[in-house]
Amino acid sequence: MKTINNKNKNGLVNVFKEGSLFNRLSFLIMGLGNICYGQIIKGIMFLAVEVMYILYMIRSGVNNLAGLTTLGTKQQGMVIDETQGIYVMEAGDNSMLILLWGVVTIVVSAVFLLGWYLSVRSGYEAYKTVKSGKKPANFFAEIKSLANQNIHIAFLTVPLLGILIFTVTPLIYMILMAFTNYDANHQPPGNLFDWVGLANFKALASSTGALAATFWPILAWTLIWGFVATFSCYFLGIFLAILINSKGIRFKKFWRTIFVLTMAIPAFISLLVIRTMVGENGILNVLLQQWGFTAQPLPFLTNGTWAKISVIVINLWIGIPATMLMTTGILMNIPAELYESAQIDGAGKVKTFIYITFPYMIFVTTPYLITQLIANFNNFGVIFFLTEGAPLSLNYYKGAGKTDLLVTWLYKLTTTNKDYNLAATIGIVIFVISAVFSLISYSRSGAVKNEEGFS
Amino acid sequence: MKQTNTHLLIKYRMPALLFTLLCVVSIILPYASVGENSIRIFTLFSLNDFAKTMAGLYIAGVICSLVIKVLVMVRPIKSIARMALVLDVISAGSYSVLLFGSKSILDKAGIFDAGFMVKDFGIGYWLGLVMAYVALTFTMKLCKISTGYIVLTWLSIIWLFPILWIVLTSLRAESGYYVGYFIPRGFTLDNYKALFSKTSVIPFGKWWFNTFIVAICSCIISSMIVLMTSYVLSRVRFSWRGSLMRVMLIIGMFPGFMSMIAVYNILKGAGLSQSLGALIVVNVAGAAMGYYICKGFLDTIPRSLDEAAIIDGATRFQIFTRVTIPLSKPIIIYTVLTSFIGPWGDYIFPSMLLGDKQNSYTVAIGLKWMTDFRRINNYYTQFAAGAVLVSIPIVILFVALQRFYVEGLSGAVKG
Repeated sequence: MKTINNKNKNGLVNVFKEGSLFNRLSFLIMGLGNICYGQIIKGIMFLAVEVMYILYMIRSGVNNLAGLTTLGTKQQGMVIDETQGIYVMEAGDNSMLILLWGVVTIVVSAVFLLGWYLSVRSGYEAYKTVKSGKKPANFFAEIKSLANQNIHIAFLTVPLLGILIFTVTPLIYMILMAFTNYDANHQPPGNLFDWVGLANFKALASSTGALAATFWPILAWTLIWGFVATFSCYFLGIFLAILINSKGIRFKKFWRTIFVLTMAIPAFISLLVIRTMVGENGILNVLLQQWGFTAQPLPFLTNGTWAKISVIVINLWIGIPATMLMTTGILMNIPAELYESAQIDGAGKVKTFIYITFPYMIFVTTPYLITQLIANFNNFGVIFFLTEGAPLSLNYYKGAGKTDLLVTWLYKLTTTNKDYNLAATIGIVIFVISAVFSLISYSRSGAVKNEEGFS
Repeated sequence: MKQTNTHLLIKYRMPALLFTLLCVVSIILPYASVGENSIRIFTLFSLNDFAKTMAGLYIAGVICSLVIKVLVMVRPIKSIARMALVLDVISAGSYSVLLFGSKSILDKAGIFDAGFMVKDFGIGYWLGLVMAYVALTFTMKLCKISTGYIVLTWLSIIWLFPILWIVLTSLRAESGYYVGYFIPRGFTLDNYKALFSKTSVIPFGKWWFNTFIVAICSCIISSMIVLMTSYVLSRVRFSWRGSLMRVMLIIGMFPGFMSMIAVYNILKGAGLSQSLGALIVVNVAGAAMGYYICKGFLDTIPRSLDEAAIIDGATRFQIFTRVTIPLSKPIIIYTVLTSFIGPWGDYIFPSMLLGDKQNSYTVAIGLKWMTDFRRINNYYTQFAAGAVLVSIPIVILFVALQRFYVEGLSGAVKG
């Protein structure tokens, strides 16, 4: 929104300078330009939008926006009912709803501003057309243009509305929540919550307190997990792809299918199954004891360090086939001449890999690698279905465990703890991490696009 | 004697022979020892049939292999070398089986009072095991067969192990989570029947059907949204295209379920919470954000086709339906596949939206509910049966459409 307005500021100023009186008036009365220059239906629609917006603002919008400043002042409580002489419960303000409706009003206003901008422009276009002696397009012609030069409007309206309602609005709501004290002790409708500024961020980043003592170790583990999980799956997956693709192996499709099988099974199923297999009484521990590898059951998911290693190893089981499948296509695309010339120069298998296959792979798959990295920082499924963050730690803030990633902690904070303010704060931290790595990716993508540069 | 042979790499016959010789030597070294008590592999012959077979296979295998490899030294013929290869596979295989089977053999026979552990294997066993594999490697090289098969075989066993386990468990007659063996004592289909029986506490059939409805509806609508968005972003140049893509990129960096509470409240306001419709709406609403891979593919379709169609008087919409869609089969299948699999296995939003309304559960919440530690003992075999039933449609789809998945993905990676 803002960017659009800024970019076309000249446009609006221009309309005011160059446009007719009606154009200037259409800054106030939407659609006037269109009505005066023959696009009556369109103009009336613009006008209707403005009337509806104004009615909405009068009825509730203004109140909603005002509510945002205080987030409610009247707490729910018992008051004496004069007529009956007893205490009755009197409903107070619901901070949560006040915040939500405030955000909705902001979004509605933003959409209205966009409509207003479009109406002014549209009126000016009509004026220009009339001035040049032509007839402005009638309503039906404009509808028709939706299937042709304006197809982007026809195709994008519904998807973008979906994003606006179910992604953008909730996101703004949650981002704002990071600056409130909407935690377990401030639950509406019983209690009010209020703006607290950057207090949540400070609590997380400080060097003392249970929150900081949870946040920093979880952040460190998230980063370690992200890197180890990504690169282990990446390299071993490439290894497997090369192995299956190598010349001497027959029945390639058969081998590939075995591994693809594990990818095809929905991840939550394989994770739940493996979780039951590595439990204290799970089949893996049973067999290890029967085979004589260990006398006691191994604490695969119950000891902090073991659990961290276990989730990384189990993640290989899921991640390697995925990389294998993806790199198979790329391996086949490596120009055969490269290998031929290497062979003429007398390079062996290892040298060919180090000097040809590997650089090529890295070159082509850097964006994938970074996407994977970000996906792994946010790998909710593996951790949630395998350990649910366990083993828990007494040093951590309530309910957080040693294998919790930032995302699973966020989930726990939302669902069990109801510390929404902290969850929102962590969401913002995750966003910052993702954004940093994406920036690195984009700064490199110029080199990636230029594939011919590799030789 | 002919020194060059097109079927064999005869420079490897010497190491192949040498390492088999070491295997033979390992037979007379101690097999296992606990404290003072030490045994050789020959002891296994007097224990039980299984032990006898495995030890016999190994000893016969390495000795025969040795003889044959001497023969290969004299006459390098492909068929003889192949025989050595078979024998090497047998000996390496039987010794690998003994790695896992020795404890039960020795403990049952009461050879060691303290019980046998893997660490009690003697030098004879370890040397024999390692050398059996080394000899196998060289024999494979001799026969010009890729040694990658050894790695692939072992990896396949590891990868198939959990799958085999859950399939076997789903057919197991004995209920319960903890069982001390891998292969069930009795086989039955009751676990499957129990899931669908009218008396069962678990409305699995309903769960399966719920998931199916949600996945199919979400899949159809999201695929259309993704295709339309990708087409527009790939083909139409409008003024706010760049900003739109940037904004979607930035929004995409927030963890998706961070805002689930707000979504929940919005759905509640719309009177949709705790219903499958809400689930479909949530799945579909953000679909456009996943345009990236599809757009990457559409970008590779030559623009000259569009231009030719425009000259012929086609509208953009006609180009989309008559030119772009017929040319995008791989990416359409990819999109449909991923947007079906996503809701099929989704857990977070269903669990939050549906809460305790068990009747509307999808399979993901249902199965997770069954593996809770309070219920796992009662429901483990039924959980396994459910897991198999949930996986089968996806596995069939995925294996059948693998090719398109790879094509779609590699198109986008190069994007």
